Amino acid sequence: MDLFPLWLSLRVALSATALTLVVGIPVALLLARARFAGRGLLEAVVVLPLVLPPTVLGYYLLVVIGSRGPLGRALAAVGLELAFTWWAAVLAASIGSVALLIKSAQAGFETVDRQLEQAARTLGRSEWSVFWSVTLPLAWRAVLAGAVLAFCRALGEFGITLMVAGNIPGRTQTLPLAIYDRVQAAQMNEANALALIAVGIVVVLVFGLSRVARLRY
Amino acid sequence: MVSVEIVKRYPAFALDVRWEAQDGVVGLFGPSGAGKTLTLQCLAGLVTPDAGRIVVDGRVFFDAATGVSLPPQARRVGYVFQGYALFPHLSVAENVAFGLHGRPRAERARRTAEVLGRLGLAGLERRRPHELSGGQRQRVALGRALAIDPALLLLDEPLSALDAPLRRALRDELREVLAACGTAAVVVTHDFTEAYRLADRIVVCEAGRVIQSAPRAELLWRPASEAVARIMGVANVLHGSVVKATPERIQIRWRGQTLEAVNSPTRSYLPPPESPIAFFIRPEYVRLVRKDRGAPDPAHHMNVMRGRIVREADFGTVWSLRVRLDEAGPPAQGDFDLQVEVPHLVYEILELERDRHWELSIHRGSIHVLPS
Repeated sequence: MDLFPLWLSLRVALSATALTLVVGIPVALLLARARFAGRGLLEAVVVLPLVLPPTVLGYYLLVVIGSRGPLGRALAAVGLELAFTWWAAVLAASIGSVALLIKSAQAGFETVDRQLEQAARTLGRSEWSVFWSVTLPLAWRAVLAGAVLAFCRALGEFGITLMVAGNIPGRTQTLPLAIYDRVQAAQMNEANALALIAVGIVVVLVFGLSRVARLRY
Repeated sequence: MVSVEIVKRYPAFALDVRWEAQDGVVGLFGPSGAGKTLTLQCLAGLVTPDAGRIVVDGRVFFDAATGVSLPPQARRVGYVFQGYALFPHLSVAENVAFGLHGRPRAERARRTAEVLGRLGLAGLERRRPHELSGGQRQRVALGRALAIDPALLLLDEPLSALDAPLRRALRDELREVLAACGTAAVVVTHDFTEAYRLADRIVVCEAGRVIQSAPRAELLWRPASEAVARIMGVANVLHGSVVKATPERIQIRWRGQTLEAVNSPTRSYLPPPESPIAFFIRPEYVRLVRKDRGAPDPAHHMNVMRGRIVREADFGTVWSLRVRLDEAGPPAQGDFDLQVEVPHLVYEILELERDRHWELSIHRGSIHVLPS
């Protein structure tokens, strides 16, 4: 059995989770702490990927990064191509899952007593240091939970990926796409095996998360 | 030397305070909602005032005129928060060392050990805040603030999270620590006894304004106004009308009596006759005239009046009596005119439980006039 889709999916989901952490944590912190004009708009934009049909998202993403899109052309000018590569799959998975991370982390940051952060400031700590030594250590469970949810969502991403990365066996065919392909080809045993692997990964992760969440400081 | 001048406006509240203090402990005293905590937050740099100027030991923390506003990190102010705000994920030692970030490891360890030792926390280094008693938490919060060797120490209701017996013990302990470390400090409290025990100078706040700022003894004996007296919880705040006022004496008509009070020579308050006047009489300074010693002596017994004990309450070491005067008309304070305090011994010798009708006398120096 060809396990390439499994390895590709794990690679894509891990990369996408890393990307959502880097982009999502600052946004979550902003939404949890700052009061600014356009905050409501930002919150709406954040949940948009959860409620829009994935193919619609995928279509617009393709318009942007495709060979005739603005980003696609800019990248092509320096000899890079994004659409229909595994990087496009990472981008697709990130867009599909970043909202889960942001909402979870935001809720976590909101439960951190702001007085603790103020105490850290009066004790001479910079904003950067306050985040790493107070805010994150007190909200890490929520951030981790968000990251696990995002990873699982990224692992299962189908619609956006199909639109922007295609379904190229051995190149961009991820686990969900491979399962779909096997079913289409009536290779039920392979479809079954791949589906069980997906279930196994998600169950282990979610179970492990519930154990970690019960730990004390 | 701390000099504070702050204006901060919110839709439903405005803070507009101004006070100064030499080194020592300043008590910010007043009811909740007076703006005491907000003043501390402005001092620490956690809230930026709309206008004013804050100078501590010659360092300008804030000056709206020149646009100076130091961030909290640059002020070196130790803040003991109400409820303490200890870091729950860090040990006692890590909490105390938190502000020593960036110093050499050996110096950090030395300073932490020194502070823990001074506050009697040695041996608790590895505990987490949730494993400590209320008193220990208070000391960790104090230690964390003192460890950075602050230019100014701010304490927000430092004892309010504690039970009453512990509270009294820690109040005296806190006073000793503040005296020993010699750091200028500002203590916020809504308890006058606490303010009086901890502070050298008391700033009385109400609804975002300072209504009196004075050394504690002066405040106790000469509250500047009826509002100050009421916030201090002074008993027997009464209203009469002026008969005659001279720089030495003020005569007051109240409940059919003409009372004579000492006027304050430094304050020279000279209200015109017939104008309303507020004054107070401390319950422990009202004397009961002994019936077994002959007629009252006018030299010792002035402002004599007669009344009946209508209610009493035992406070352990003193009895608080509610006395209604033998005068027609409604009593001054609900169903009584004066609150009188007598020690248990006096209560027993005079057999007050049996004998309810007495002559009272009040020395003219014990009637305190409140300028309006």
